[in-house]
Amino acid sequence: MAVATTKNESQEIILQGIWKDNPIFRQVLGICSTLAVTNLVLNTIVMCTALTFTTTLSSLTISLMRNSTPRRIRMMVQTLVIAFYVILVDIFLKAYWPEMSTSLGPYVGLIITNCIIMGRCEAYAGKYPAIPSAIDGFFMGVGYSCILLIISIIRELIGMGSILGIPMPFFSSHWDKWIIMVMPPGAFFTLALVIWMFRTFQKDEEDDKK
Amino acid sequence: MKDKPWYPIAYMFVVTFLFSIILIGLSSATKERVEANQQLNFEFAVLKSLPITIEKDVTSIALHALYLEKIAPPNDKSAGAYVYREGNAIKGYALPISGKGFWDTIYGVVGIASDKTTITGIYFYRQSETPGLGAEIAQEPFRKQFIGKILAETGIAFQIKPVGSILNASEVQAVTGATQTSTRLNKFLSQQLTDWRNAMSAI
Repeated sequence: MAVATTKNESQEIILQGIWKDNPIFRQVLGICSTLAVTNLVLNTIVMCTALTFTTTLSSLTISLMRNSTPRRIRMMVQTLVIAFYVILVDIFLKAYWPEMSTSLGPYVGLIITNCIIMGRCEAYAGKYPAIPSAIDGFFMGVGYSCILLIISIIRELIGMGSILGIPMPFFSSHWDKWIIMVMPPGAFFTLALVIWMFRTFQKDEEDDKK
Repeated sequence: MKDKPWYPIAYMFVVTFLFSIILIGLSSATKERVEANQQLNFEFAVLKSLPITIEKDVTSIALHALYLEKIAPPNDKSAGAYVYREGNAIKGYALPISGKGFWDTIYGVVGIASDKTTITGIYFYRQSETPGLGAEIAQEPFRKQFIGKILAETGIAFQIKPVGSILNASEVQAVTGATQTSTRLNKFLSQQLTDWRNAMSAI
């Protein structure tokens, strides 16, 4: 395998992360955080940034370490590296953005258990060179973020009549707010609908493969 | 070397050691900042609960200076409340309250005027209640109800009543749909305000 990444290869990785192999609606990974933080758009943005940061850098680090890491303990090493980056995010938020840190509460720490990160380390970064791994990690994060943003916009708009805390016309005045949308059940409904919708669009590609 | 039985152990040890060192370093480098943030949160809550005007885009330093100027720590005549002074005159009290919410402990401050009865405001500086439901306790509409309410002279000093109840001067309405948060908040709020009233009348 060539060390240098050609333009085509990168494009393929990017396309996979965002569309063909999207972590949420294709791989259905990282659902726990999808359900937990999508009730407010702002929380979602911070969560997605933190996750993208973590997937990119842990994929990069795991890839750099892949030749010296003994196979038997690779998962321990992965968890350690992921935890390292997540704690970095946590320290940063606590020191420089305390409001966000309290509002996300335990979910920052729970990025460690987000299956996307470990999934990508195991499926990609452990086998490929550093640069493609970092690209893969980054775009998996972007793919995740796109879906989360869609879900959070739907939930905040219908549940609270606002987006990013800004009251929206019609929704803040004439709309009877669906409180259930900002509660956990709302996340299940929205997520299921979004996955259904995207899978419908993708149906043709799947059939082609068979 | 990779085949040696001790290699995975040594590897894990070294890796853990390196990553931990970096984290410990960073965490202690930002420790002061984190503590200052928490203190500032509390100071903001104290000022917000009292009738003190805070400029909209106040800087942390200005806020801290304002706090130092107006607020004195609890003394033996305030029963655990912070004292609000203008010059030498006592203008009010800020009583820190805390107790179990639905998800986590709720921390707040109740401002009380110098007559030791009239509530001047309430502010929560730490809570993890459900956004859109329990978390509404931290929002303006719920908090506004407290302003001007008085602590009852006898019995329970203050209560949060279910939505739709007829309220007297020592009662406010709960948050719609957030029964758990409201009940739990009422439990510790009424208890701590009653205790404070009793302690103050004994002084």
